Amino acid sequence: MSLLKPFSKLPGLNTANILLVENEEQFQQKLADTVVLQEKTVNVNVRLARSLPLPMENEESRPRIDLVVFIIHLTSELSFQSAETSLKYLDPGYFQGKVCFLVTNARNVSVPPERLVSVRKLAASLHCPLLCAEDQTTEGVTTAAHRLLAILKVAAGLVPMATGLYLSTLTRCTVPSDIDQQNFE
Amino acid sequence: MGDSTNRILQRLIRRIPYQMLQTMFGKWAHLSREDLHSLDFTQPKWVLTEHLLALCEEKGLTVKHITELEMIYIIENPNQGMWHGFQLLDAEEDAPSIELTQFKEQFKANLTELISHVSIKIKKHTDEAIWIRVAWGDNFTKPYHLKPTYVVHHLQTPYVFVTGVTSKHKPLLNQALVLATRYGSMKDAHLSGRNLTAIRDLLMRQYQQVFPTKHPKPLQEKNPVPRNPNIEKEQAENTENRLQMACEAFGDGTLPQMQKAVYKLETKFRDNSNKTLTGREEPFRGVVEFASTNLLESLRHCVSSGMASTPVTPLLSSITQKGRNYFVITDKGV
Repeated sequence: MSLLKPFSKLPGLNTANILLVENEEQFQQKLADTVVLQEKTVNVNVRLARSLPLPMENEESRPRIDLVVFIIHLTSELSFQSAETSLKYLDPGYFQGKVCFLVTNARNVSVPPERLVSVRKLAASLHCPLLCAEDQTTEGVTTAAHRLLAILKVAAGLVPMATGLYLSTLTRCTVPSDIDQQNFE
Repeated sequence: MGDSTNRILQRLIRRIPYQMLQTMFGKWAHLSREDLHSLDFTQPKWVLTEHLLALCEEKGLTVKHITELEMIYIIENPNQGMWHGFQLLDAEEDAPSIELTQFKEQFKANLTELISHVSIKIKKHTDEAIWIRVAWGDNFTKPYHLKPTYVVHHLQTPYVFVTGVTSKHKPLLNQALVLATRYGSMKDAHLSGRNLTAIRDLLMRQYQQVFPTKHPKPLQEKNPVPRNPNIEKEQAENTENRLQMACEAFGDGTLPQMQKAVYKLETKFRDNSNKTLTGREEPFRGVVEFASTNLLESLRHCVSSGMASTPVTPLLSSITQKGRNYFVITDKGV
């Protein structure tokens, strides 16, 4: 299996690389443009993919990926399933602070609440942070880009005194034990 | 002018939107420049209708002239009502060399032979299409002008588009058309829609098609968006392949605006989790309907964005490849 490995390549100077994985390939483009525009001090490279595994042809030219973000649209079950299957192609080294989940439409009434619960359980079991984003407005995209950049800089080792593993213990998703009994009466 | 003629004119004016009235009258040959000036287009429509009725009465215009106006209006705005496509089969030897006057004579002669009371008007449009308006009567009554049938035929092509024909008159119209165009028979092309230009473009393949190539090259965008060198797509080849396949199946650029595709299923039920329905001998009848404001555009997007799996299933690509939007699917095939 062609796993994506976190430490098999050398890092670049003052560079951070982020991989956005999204089945629908819509939000990732907007996010990529915003991320690259927002960050002035660090050289940020964004790689966009639909799912893992990544094609072998790009293996040589691909830089070291510091952060893998799975974008899950809660309105589509396929989005979640695609993210789940892609997880298998990540080397376990990534789950120490180099993976992040980003969900959209969490406030949408037509979304079944069980889906968000399953995403939370998945993120909690992998000790990864779960971010909620709003993808329709520019402010939503900017906010999401801002938060991803903050995590990216730590994961790439560009923030002194902070590592990805340290940050993830603070930001990782937790699931309360009574989440299955949650109702909104 | 008789009562019925008045009513036909009133109905027609009511149908034409106010903004178009002036241009329509301009094209109608029976109102002179002075008459047009005398009509005041700022008044409410019913006042204008009264003036027009008086004017036509003065000039002694008959139903024939009014139907000309209606035809002008329909030719300008063909995208109303439901158009159905038909295909002519078994061309005889002289079918490709039929020309306009011959067709006109033959059609009129044939149809008046079949029904004595019909009102036929044939006009050739600038884009080589022949428009025929038929108002049907029967052996005892005069033609009824409020529900006419319109037929569009492009000479030298085996396609005919019809709107507004009832099942009673359809065989008569078919026969007249078949004889006038020197073909053997006419069959239903199973293509219908509200937009005449769309179904014509689809049937006659007048949209921008993409053909499969041996050396696939990504489709060049017309205005390439400047790519940010920091952003890179990992699976760009897959995306390009999908776009290529979508365009091969459905075409490139602006697509004909179809609204519906209907698949009538007459296949056996095949789902092992449902014991009551599986294993029955008779087919499970169901109808699947795809509807959209621009169906082909939606399907192309589904394929290029990966929502529908590639290669494109022949069930969907037959809409464009065979030029139909009504399919009956049996267990042996489409």
